[in-house]
Amino acid sequence: MSGLERSLWYLGSIAVTALLVGLWQFVADHGGIPPVFLPGPDKAWDALMSGLASGPIAKVTLATLRRMIYGWVLASLAGVALGALIGSSRQARDYLGPTLEMIRPVPVSAFMPIVIAFLGLSGDMVLVVIALGAIWPVLLATVHGVSAVEPRLVELSRMLKLGRLAMLWKIALPNAQPDILAGARLGLTVSLVLTVVGEMLTSQNGLGYYVLLEGRAFHSANLFAGVILLGAIGLVSNLALQAAEARLLRWSRR
Amino acid sequence: MKTLKGALFPVVVLLLWEIGMRASGIQSDSLAPPSQIAVAFYEALFDGTVLDRTAQTLFVVICGLGIGGGLALVFSVLMGLVPAFARLMQFSIEVLRPVPPVALIPVAMLIFGFGFPMEITLCAFACFWPVAIYGHAAIANIEPQLLDVSRVLRLSPVARVFKIVLPAALPRYFVGFRLSAAVSLIIAVTVEITINPLGVGFELMKASQSLHPDRMFAMLLWIGVIGGGLNWALLFAQRRLFGRAGLAAAR
Amino acid sequence: MRGEAICRDHVSARLLAPFAPLVLMTGAAVAAEALIEFRQVSHRFGARPVLSDINLAVRPSEFVCMVGPSGCGKTTMLRMVAGLLRPEHGSVFYSGAPVTEPAHAVAFMFQDYSKALLPWRNAAGNVALALEASGVPRAARQPRIATLLEKVGLGGHAEQFPIQLSGGMQQRLQIARCLAQEPAVLLMDEPFGALDAMTRQSLQDELLRIIQASRTTALFVTHDLEEAIYLGDRVVALHPNPGRIAQIFEVTLPRPRNQLETREDPEFIRLRHEIFHFISAGAA
Repeated sequence: MSGLERSLWYLGSIAVTALLVGLWQFVADHGGIPPVFLPGPDKAWDALMSGLASGPIAKVTLATLRRMIYGWVLASLAGVALGALIGSSRQARDYLGPTLEMIRPVPVSAFMPIVIAFLGLSGDMVLVVIALGAIWPVLLATVHGVSAVEPRLVELSRMLKLGRLAMLWKIALPNAQPDILAGARLGLTVSLVLTVVGEMLTSQNGLGYYVLLEGRAFHSANLFAGVILLGAIGLVSNLALQAAEARLLRWSRR
Repeated sequence: MKTLKGALFPVVVLLLWEIGMRASGIQSDSLAPPSQIAVAFYEALFDGTVLDRTAQTLFVVICGLGIGGGLALVFSVLMGLVPAFARLMQFSIEVLRPVPPVALIPVAMLIFGFGFPMEITLCAFACFWPVAIYGHAAIANIEPQLLDVSRVLRLSPVARVFKIVLPAALPRYFVGFRLSAAVSLIIAVTVEITINPLGVGFELMKASQSLHPDRMFAMLLWIGVIGGGLNWALLFAQRRLFGRAGLAAAR
Repeated sequence: MRGEAICRDHVSARLLAPFAPLVLMTGAAVAAEALIEFRQVSHRFGARPVLSDINLAVRPSEFVCMVGPSGCGKTTMLRMVAGLLRPEHGSVFYSGAPVTEPAHAVAFMFQDYSKALLPWRNAAGNVALALEASGVPRAARQPRIATLLEKVGLGGHAEQFPIQLSGGMQQRLQIARCLAQEPAVLLMDEPFGALDAMTRQSLQDELLRIIQASRTTALFVTHDLEEAIYLGDRVVALHPNPGRIAQIFEVTLPRPRNQLETREDPEFIRLRHEIFHFISAGAA
């Protein structure tokens, strides 16, 4: 299929989405459902725009973004460092591996009540939980990537007499780059989810708490606006990381 | 030898934890010695709490999986067999997929209030995506010759779907279902922790807020067991249903 | 001629050692000052014997080719010289001392070149790795990399990644990286095996040119009998199961070698026949 055809189909799919939004509008106006439950897209859009321009939505969005990104960056750095340490040592992998595997199936949000018990309902608690949750995919990915180096490259490093640290920095970690980036992308998704849940639980200033409040107050237009924003954050952050990944992994077969 | 090594770390941690707490005599609202946690778990088991709550959460997980997975099945078959449909839906999917299900909690609350329907809806939304995507990939990658066979045999479209397309795509679908099941559990527990007063997540939160750390950790461990158990059971089913060939096809 | 009739057999060479001055006068070299030496080397992988009583001496600046069917242990021998593997019995010597670990002056060219290059670094970066390992200061690296890439004919490709290079170019990049170590010894494990015939031939000539210029000692493993004769000063024929040196052949063809003329030289053809029959007889 040519590029032109592909673009046309894509435009068509955008048109389909517009149609669905139109359908939403129609149902909202004529479907007999009270606007409290289903505001039309026009109302949601208005709420979004006015909220962003002057209202609280902009502030809470920024708060959420800041929290999400801080937690994620912290988690990713720690995850790579720890993962490199564990992954590069066979002993560490043997002793710690099974424990890591045991913790893996536990839903990350289940740790939230635990951390609340320690840190109470505070902003710190949310950040800690975000970091704890987001570190996981990066850590596991790094361990995997660092421990699975092509045997030829291991031999090459022996032939060149590279020290342990040089081997880790020049060969094992770059080798793990694809895995680490994929793990970081997953970590960002986790980070967003935990940010939202954390804000809801602790009533911290942010989009999570905002949508909860607006929902309780039956301000459905604002609620929908907030949800749209959260979706947008998820989308944009994922796309940004994918673009970064593509650039950084130019050298890869994938 | 390897399993011994692996078991060493957690055992040592547990021992230090137990001894540390007992020896120092600390009374904490957030931490409890492992022995106490075990006792709390057995108590909760025998007074029915664990079973009740587990049943509630599993009910939600299964319903969510059924509804979301079922819808995704139909959707992905359509996408796979009618490429035009897949192309036209692309943008809508790209827009809807990144919405975190937890962001929809207030929406579900608004419509359904507390209780089962709200949680099941959110799980269904989350379960939809892995099955839809794996399913679409499964159908798009069906051996073309199988489709030719169906044409030669002049099967009706419905028969084609049920006799050839679905069976061929089944192994990959199952992998999607497994993933959805894990996601469903995560969403269910998360919703229960955040706001919904039912299930194991709620029990966990209750224990935390009422300052019963032993019960809290017991529930945490139990949730881990459920997660691991669910995954193991599905892996077992996958191996039994599809065997070696199925696992290979599921790649 | 260099008295090859006398020195064809390594056993005879040893017997003749006392008569070294006499032999030297006839132009034949002796294993007196070997750069690399195998002394009674035997090795097993688990229960399977892989090498049995290997004795071989390689002189400085010599180009020695090792041929034989699969399972004759030629790669194993190479890895022992590299220090990647220790023999179960016997010793491998480099420059008079037993090999215990890889040496800076010994470079290894892997057969699967695509797996031996760092995919995330461009061509210049891959060559740089060897310089970084040798402790060359950053400022000095750039010109040396440029020279090396020129030397192997990759001058304009410094910025490209291995995935963008053809098989032949990747192998040339590996050569460049090996040369960056300024090696005294170049160990090559079927380096051209996975390449098409034309690329193989041009790389053979490039290799010879580079090695003659730097007078590097070379140990070259190959399946290809003609390649071995074309490149080498000596051809070591190995028999498999377990790997043992059956015979060593002197190659007295004139240098520089030429793809057309050398291969049509009667001596080339004679050697080819002789070694071919020798190997097939041993494989039987």
